[in-house]
Amino acid sequence: MSVVQNTGETKNWYLPGVFGGLVITFRHLFRNLLNRKKMITLDYPEEKYEYSPRFKGNHVLTVKKDGSLRCTACMLCATNCPAECIKIVAAEHDDPVVEKYPINYEIDILRCVFCGYCEEACPVDAIRLGPEWQTPGLNGSNFVYDIPHLAYRPQLKGGIQSHVDDEERHKAGI
Amino acid sequence: MLKCTINGKEVEVKEGSTIMEAFYKLNEHIAHYCYHPGLSVAGVCRLCIVDIEGNPRPQIACNTVVTEGMKVTNKSERIKDGAKWVLDFHLINHPLDCPICDQAGECGLQDQYMEFGKYNPEMSEPKVKKHKVVDLGPSVVLDSERCILCSRCTRFTEEVTKTNELGLFNRGDRTEIGCVEGRELDNKYSLNTVDICPVGALTSKDFRFRQRVWYLKDSESICPGCSTGCNIKVYYNKEGMFRVKPVYNEQVNGHWMCDEGRDVYKFVNREHRLLRAKKHASGAWTELAPGRAAKEAAATLKAAGDSLALVLTAQYSVEEYEAIVSTFVNEFKTRKIYFWINNKESFDDFDGLLLRGDKNPNTKGLLRVLEKHGIEATWGELEKGLSSGSIKTLVVAGPENPAVFPDLRQKIETLSAAKNLIWLQAGRNEQLENLPGEVTLIPLKTFVEKSGTFINQAGLEQRFKRATTIVPEALTLTEAALLLSGKDLSIPVAKEVFVETNRRDDQVMLEHRKKNEFVFRRGAL
Amino acid sequence: METKLLSQHYHLDEFRFLEGYRKHGGYEQLPRALQMQPQQIIDEVKNAGLRGRGGAGFPTGMKWGFLPKNNEPRYLLCNADEGEPGTFKDRMMMERAPHQLIEGMIISGYAIGSKKSYIYIRGEYHDSLRIVGQAINEAYKAGFLGKNILGSGFDHDMDVYSGAGAYICGEETGMISSLEGLKGQPKLKPPFPAVQGYLRKPTIVNNVETLAAVKYIIRDGAQGYRKFGTEKSAGTKLFSLSGNVVKPGNFEVPLGFPLKDLIEGLGGGMKPGRRLKAVIPGGSSAPVLTADEANKATLDYECLSGMGSMLGSGAVIVIDDSQCMVDLLGVLMHFYHHESCGQCTPCREGTGWLNKIVHSILEGRGRLQDIDLLLKVADNMKGRTICALSDAAALPVISFVSKFRDEFEFYVREGRSKVRGTSYAEMHH
Repeated sequence: MSVVQNTGETKNWYLPGVFGGLVITFRHLFRNLLNRKKMITLDYPEEKYEYSPRFKGNHVLTVKKDGSLRCTACMLCATNCPAECIKIVAAEHDDPVVEKYPINYEIDILRCVFCGYCEEACPVDAIRLGPEWQTPGLNGSNFVYDIPHLAYRPQLKGGIQSHVDDEERHKAGI
Repeated sequence: MLKCTINGKEVEVKEGSTIMEAFYKLNEHIAHYCYHPGLSVAGVCRLCIVDIEGNPRPQIACNTVVTEGMKVTNKSERIKDGAKWVLDFHLINHPLDCPICDQAGECGLQDQYMEFGKYNPEMSEPKVKKHKVVDLGPSVVLDSERCILCSRCTRFTEEVTKTNELGLFNRGDRTEIGCVEGRELDNKYSLNTVDICPVGALTSKDFRFRQRVWYLKDSESICPGCSTGCNIKVYYNKEGMFRVKPVYNEQVNGHWMCDEGRDVYKFVNREHRLLRAKKHASGAWTELAPGRAAKEAAATLKAAGDSLALVLTAQYSVEEYEAIVSTFVNEFKTRKIYFWINNKESFDDFDGLLLRGDKNPNTKGLLRVLEKHGIEATWGELEKGLSSGSIKTLVVAGPENPAVFPDLRQKIETLSAAKNLIWLQAGRNEQLENLPGEVTLIPLKTFVEKSGTFINQAGLEQRFKRATTIVPEALTLTEAALLLSGKDLSIPVAKEVFVETNRRDDQVMLEHRKKNEFVFRRGAL
Repeated sequence: METKLLSQHYHLDEFRFLEGYRKHGGYEQLPRALQMQPQQIIDEVKNAGLRGRGGAGFPTGMKWGFLPKNNEPRYLLCNADEGEPGTFKDRMMMERAPHQLIEGMIISGYAIGSKKSYIYIRGEYHDSLRIVGQAINEAYKAGFLGKNILGSGFDHDMDVYSGAGAYICGEETGMISSLEGLKGQPKLKPPFPAVQGYLRKPTIVNNVETLAAVKYIIRDGAQGYRKFGTEKSAGTKLFSLSGNVVKPGNFEVPLGFPLKDLIEGLGGGMKPGRRLKAVIPGGSSAPVLTADEANKATLDYECLSGMGSMLGSGAVIVIDDSQCMVDLLGVLMHFYHHESCGQCTPCREGTGWLNKIVHSILEGRGRLQDIDLLLKVADNMKGRTICALSDAAALPVISFVSKFRDEFEFYVREGRSKVRGTSYAEMHH
């Protein structure tokens, strides 16, 4: 693409540009004054923008029907994480069908780059990047999210259930 | 010697060798599970099929003996396709447990599927259900569903330990590994079954779920657990050491190592280590850097003159002994160097396989160094010297692995009679930290943090190299010797690695062995 | 017409006991044989062209010739673990004429230089076990067994051993494992049993009928025995005729006998209103023959293997047009899945897989690609394992599916049998 440069006398005439810009500004000003519904800005923080469901915001650990964590502590998310912000400590579960589960799952959200690789690496749909994006806090230590926050924070209303049915899966031997 | 052709490459093998051995010799890849060079041939996985010229049926490489001029290939379409299907047969009832399976990352099924697998599974029927998390004994857990019934573990208990705890029960695809009724897998070599298991069916209770293997780096070393000196591989990362596995050395340990040796990683980790030097003088303990503590101790040593003595345990490398003994003999002009023998009664015990009663890796090495300097002092003289007051300043190179020193408590009591006690040791010890007299505790490095040589009971010199650093500030005994004699540290240069020097002509090539023992290198991940 | 060589006196009850057996020429060949040189007997058996009657049809004389020429103790094992579905000839031979077997075994033992032999009898054959055991006792009392038999200086001991009900123990190395007290699993070959068998000593394993026939080779000489049968398949053989015929049973005919005559003549033909659909000529492991093939076939090793099937153990299973081949394959696959020893992967997993596929077709969950999958799985099980069980499971699948594909496709499409018209679930209620 080539840019056509105005090389003539008119290149020093700036007033048409200024007025042209002001026309647009005032057109929007009046339109917004006349029709407030079409106004594009929001009164944040009273009003909040609804992002698309595929928005990659704060992490959520999904739960099974009984409310326990779906995560099997396979550490694929931690392995895949480019920011190395996931830290998992695995332990043996009493139920031989579950076998392995995380006793500690921490995400250092300040290091997280919200790339979503953890979500893609997860073989059991245990971690998702949810629609929440506001992460204010007063203190640096608040940004290391642990299991109670990731899976059971009040906004999740008891946890997000993943659609995979474990009983079905085990019956089918997968 | 017989000549045969493997995949178009000619190779000479010994008479009576199998085709599999010829493949090994050539570093040609061939899929297999049940074959293990240290065990008898079972021929049950049927994966190592090869085409032999003039033979209409595919034969298995592990049980077919090479004949002169034999032409073998596993690259033909028929064999490739056959191996794909046999691999698929292995997998149809194998659960998709990889995320929670400890073997993932060093798994024979994963590795070989990538190389030989049939990438379009056609099994759409339900899988066979078997027992999960079966407790086989004090150290091993079984997952029957993951088991591919290669029978390596049963053959191990049958042929190597001859304890026969494990057996195959039931038949058909309902077959499961299990312990014979009333028995459990509790022999002294049980964890070898975990190593030879090509899948994650047998897992070690100690290592279970502690780390994913791709977070671990490995390095070859020598087991300091006893005077056999098994060749081992230590697995570590920045958090410390996690496990120990044997490495093949026909002269020493073959393919195996004992369960006791698997614990040698424990005393190496930070939580058991003395991290800073400690000094007890005029009723108060002060912490200081190890180097500084050693330098300060140098003055005491110099002043001690004739009342200086040295106690050595057989847990350090030959190079360190040479350094500290020659320092004492040449610099301090003392010949009061004593050998702390830890378990005299069981010194010559041997269980017939690997385990020896002498729980020190380098007794021979220490004795050789002492002999070289002509030192013949006995423990009795030391005790006499301590009680009579002719020995006032004592330097002790304490046990690196305190677990094998049953007399530790009593010996500390004896040795603390010295007016000045300078105790060099890797591990923490409560008793030492509560001694009333003038004590300096200086942290030392462990066998994974330094290079050196151990001489095993048979007189074989085995060099080992540094794997990792866990307590960076700690000193090796060589460094301590330098500092104690008032000199400054010079950085020692490691010589060549022992594996190269000890390799024999017929030894399986290292790289090939790794591939076949399912050891996974993390690579660039 | 039957040609009764071995089974001439089977109808006589007294033939079961020593006295009655001797009345009809029993133990007359033993002294003659003991006067011959062992090698002479082996040559005679070789010349007679006797082939193993257990299923593989391996020349017996040649098998005996594989024994190493040394003085190691060696064993003779009689394989009476008659597990092949459809076979019941050995049972009759043991129950009607135990001494015939014992005499044949002593002669064979003498020929191969074995001082000890075992008869491994199928676990379910309680009567056979008792009758053969009694007969051995009688033979010991009469001096035909034990030390210095009939003053010839030849010692021979014999024992019976009961199996525990595993099909795989009919395989020779599986039987040896079982006899050794191990889990009944076939052993890796080489070494072959003739070199390292029972207790790692040279061992010969022969079928009941093979060993019994040795007696008649001694009696009539190699040429006399060769009068029956064809050039390559000499002698007579007992055939166990079963299935949808009017008169099932054991029939002894010379090899080379037309299969049609066996079914139509000796077996009394098909039941009224029924037509022949297929024949399994050699026990359930043998590939099935269609009616056309069966009408052309003769019962000898060459003809049947030429047709892609095998003579096997001589169990002729007749299938008429009221039978659904998918059902039958379901039964067979259940059997092989149940009986696989679980040692080799292709067989252990393959039999289970085949069973699952056939049953999913039967239960109406089948897909059209499953039919090809059956063939693919069977093809890859064939010839890939230590013993022949994998082949035994794969061959029927291949022959059933390729010869009666329309029935399988109908079943998959309609969810019911083409022959019966009902589904599997309906049939079982």
